[in-house]
Amino acid sequence: MADAACLPAPARRFNPWPAVIFIALAVLALLFLAPTAGVLLSSIKTTRDIALGQLWTIPSELFWGNYAEVLGNPAVHRYFLNTALVTAPATVASIALGSLAGYVFAKLPFRGSNLLFLVIVSGMFFPPQVILIPLFRLFNAMDLIDTLYPIIVIHTAMGIPICTLLMRNFFATVPNALREAAILEGANEWQVLTRVALPLSLPALAVLATLQFTWIWNDFLWPLIFTQSDEKRTIMLGIVNLQGQYSVAWGVQGSLSLIASLPTLVVFLFFQRYFIKGMTMGAVKG
Amino acid sequence: MERENRFWRVILLALPLAVFAAFVIWPLADSFHYSFTNWNGFNPDFDYVGFDNFLKIHSDKLFLNAAINTALWIVAAIVVPTGLGLGLALLIDSRIPGGSVFKSIFYLPICLSAVVVGQIWVWIYQPDWGLLNTVVEAVSGESFNYAWLAKPDSALWSVILAWSWQQTGLSMVIFLAGLTTIPEELLEVCEIEGARALQRIRLVVIPLLTPATVVVIALNVINSLKGFDILYTMTGGGPFNSSDTLAMHMYNESFKKYLMGYGSAISVVLFLIALTIVRLYFRQLRKVDELHG
Amino acid sequence: MITLNRRGALAALAVAPALLLGAPAFAQGGDVTLTHYFTGEFGLKLFNEQVAKFEADTGHTIKNSPIGHEDFKTDILVRAAGDSLPDVFSYWAGARTQFVVDAGSLHPIDDMWARDGLDSVVAKSVADSATMYNGKRYLVPFNYHYAGMFYNTQVLADAGVSEMPTDWDGFMALCETLKAAGVTPIALGSKYRWPAQFWFDYLLLNTAGPDYRAALMDGSAAYDDAEVKAAMAMWRELADKGYFAPNANADTWTDASDKVARGDAAMTLMGTWITGYWNGLGLEPGKDYDFFPFPSIADGLPGSVVGPVDGLVVSNDGENRAGAEAFLSYMMSSADVQASWTSGYGALSANVNVDPANYNEVMQRVSTVVAGADVFAFNYDLATPPPVAEVGLSMFSRFMDDPSQVDDILAQAAADAAQAFTE
Repeated sequence: MADAACLPAPARRFNPWPAVIFIALAVLALLFLAPTAGVLLSSIKTTRDIALGQLWTIPSELFWGNYAEVLGNPAVHRYFLNTALVTAPATVASIALGSLAGYVFAKLPFRGSNLLFLVIVSGMFFPPQVILIPLFRLFNAMDLIDTLYPIIVIHTAMGIPICTLLMRNFFATVPNALREAAILEGANEWQVLTRVALPLSLPALAVLATLQFTWIWNDFLWPLIFTQSDEKRTIMLGIVNLQGQYSVAWGVQGSLSLIASLPTLVVFLFFQRYFIKGMTMGAVKG
Repeated sequence: MERENRFWRVILLALPLAVFAAFVIWPLADSFHYSFTNWNGFNPDFDYVGFDNFLKIHSDKLFLNAAINTALWIVAAIVVPTGLGLGLALLIDSRIPGGSVFKSIFYLPICLSAVVVGQIWVWIYQPDWGLLNTVVEAVSGESFNYAWLAKPDSALWSVILAWSWQQTGLSMVIFLAGLTTIPEELLEVCEIEGARALQRIRLVVIPLLTPATVVVIALNVINSLKGFDILYTMTGGGPFNSSDTLAMHMYNESFKKYLMGYGSAISVVLFLIALTIVRLYFRQLRKVDELHG
Repeated sequence: MITLNRRGALAALAVAPALLLGAPAFAQGGDVTLTHYFTGEFGLKLFNEQVAKFEADTGHTIKNSPIGHEDFKTDILVRAAGDSLPDVFSYWAGARTQFVVDAGSLHPIDDMWARDGLDSVVAKSVADSATMYNGKRYLVPFNYHYAGMFYNTQVLADAGVSEMPTDWDGFMALCETLKAAGVTPIALGSKYRWPAQFWFDYLLLNTAGPDYRAALMDGSAAYDDAEVKAAMAMWRELADKGYFAPNANADTWTDASDKVARGDAAMTLMGTWITGYWNGLGLEPGKDYDFFPFPSIADGLPGSVVGPVDGLVVSNDGENRAGAEAFLSYMMSSADVQASWTSGYGALSANVNVDPANYNEVMQRVSTVVAGADVFAFNYDLATPPPVAEVGLSMFSRFMDDPSQVDDILAQAAADAAQAFTE
């Protein structure tokens, strides 16, 4: 990542900059870590300690009861499984559909395609609460309430705008000459897309996979509306439901949310190596 | 050839458009039609009231307040994470040890759920024993118990800060990816010319990062609408509606006052505003494209 | 080659939606579907134990769907709009239930009520105020709460207070004593607005009386009336004298309760659920905390108590009505369920067969106070229609932010409430 750096130009001649930058980053990192540290602290304290205003003190002894409670709870295991069952297919499907549409907008534009693109992209800009009721009625009519399918479908549909936008912009940077050469050799558009354009688009795919995975994993509105029995609930609902009518189990909530954030962190660490090279997503020529 | 193209357009677009139309466009249209009714959500019966709901927006003081807050929120959600993310990316990209550790630290907040992030920031802003005021007291040596989230002047900005904290990492990783595209030769030219670091960033790096910036801004705008959850946890739009955004206002009218018709009217207006912003964004984008050939 | 691929692409197009949508339905016959807001680690476990008793005793099975308090409101509204309410759901008695009844979403339970003899089970005062809507019965009062002045016994003892005030002068004197002793007299956590409503409720009920308050709640009186102004002036006096802990709007009700538990403040006006919360933190009823009723103010007014009723209702959409009615009847009539639920949850039972000895000593005295009251009134946001409640709740938190603006705030509230009543 550091091979193309422009910043520390004088660094090779004399050396204060790396140290200064390192210290600046370290200070910023500490500031950034403070809130996360708060979650960590809440997870190793009892609800009573937190209620008595002891959140921000360093505990004299660690309380692991919250983690034991979370990890030993079979309901939590099921929440994780359900969340994975929703997140993985919806991430893949939204990126797949966005790639299809993005390819057409980038490589096969037609009269009115810009307008269509505009409408699709605008589809990201409304609060999801707007379509709660129509969607509930729709899936109710299909008898799919209290299954995971509506959540998968909606995250797929709601992911189409961002995936189409990013994939279109990325495909636009794939040289037209490549496509034309492939077509001259007898390939069709499907083959150009899957064998030429997509392999070149690994960075965009990796970014989208990370983003979509994180967003879908952390969502709780759709699971709230479309699942009813505890066996179908997802991890975010598990976290929210720790807030009772008249109390909140802070410690358990903190530990559960830290555990719940691990998959998204792993996904980021795995995919980030592909973020590099050729994130030249400009070119919105139509 | 054109016939062939037409065929593939249909094949490739059919599924994404069908899914999008069925599960986004149709529900939106269905919901928008309630903006012409006085439906309360529970009652199966309702009347069509023409443009009454839209006229009501005119006299709704809370709407104006929420619209201004939404504008502030979107602008801040673009400027702060983009600026901070760029700064962090430049620092991390500068061959310092531990770069990937720093990158993970700054990215970490995105992985946490909005509910928990909101709660932890409530504890940071807590007036009596919160982290922020404790630090202020330690530094100033005076007792300090300003209630950041409870005062109309600071509530919205306090939430925006928390939001920026969570979103900066995303901008940073995209900028880091963008930085890898800047060709080595250009940097060497920089060296020969001996341009100062800051000047070089401004004149060479930032222009070359335009493609990444375009993506970052788009993501930040989209994300700003997901800010509902964190705002809901931290202030719930309070104190007394001072930190309401349009999404929150629409939610309150629809789900707390049971005025579904009026709530729908608000979301129609919100959608029209969004459409305008997207068009402006595209227009800017085309200009950028022309500049870059 | 292209033809072949076209065919392949078309086939893929046809299959994909089937994969996405052709999922098996999950319909289950015979269950009673139930959605409720008794969540949280503790509440949910306790509630599930009661459900298990019902299942064991009756053979019915419950399909249970707990949802956190705030999200519950959204969920129920969406499901009502989709004509897909569960067989049974929990709901707040009063204006909210009235709203749902008016929308035709609930099924009346008069037959069940008569058949199972609930008249001889449910305390009459609660039955009269909470279960009847538009002349029919719709709700069983699963539990109810009472709002009173809960205090830290140690703090009051340290300040030399041994006798609790019963009238307004006594209350002001108590606050002054506490303040002089260096303790903040009153904690209030009005971040989510509703905890402030109990102040408004009691001040108005004890100065203008329940009849006037009822008129204000149904729109036939106005928020800038002299009666409201007088009540608000008393509230303002408390604030101006510095009796409230600063930054009420920064705290939730649990923050305020924590302040009292820590001894940073002496007392808080809150519902009996605070006993459940405090017990959960390890405080001992009677020893660490206690309560006294809100002091009476004007002479000659009926003694009022304020609180919410958590009800269970049967929906019109449900498929298993027999099971739903059996559930309501059982949860209401079983003295065992009622006793273990209310004593564990820090609530009161409306079941006359529940022996008060089941309660802890503080709750025993609470139940005596409630039994001796002339009027049981719903708290503000359950007493007035939801759109109006939004106006009033915002008014309270605005007032707590800057009590000196009270005249402007009332004028504004009067206008907004008048508008909200027309909606």
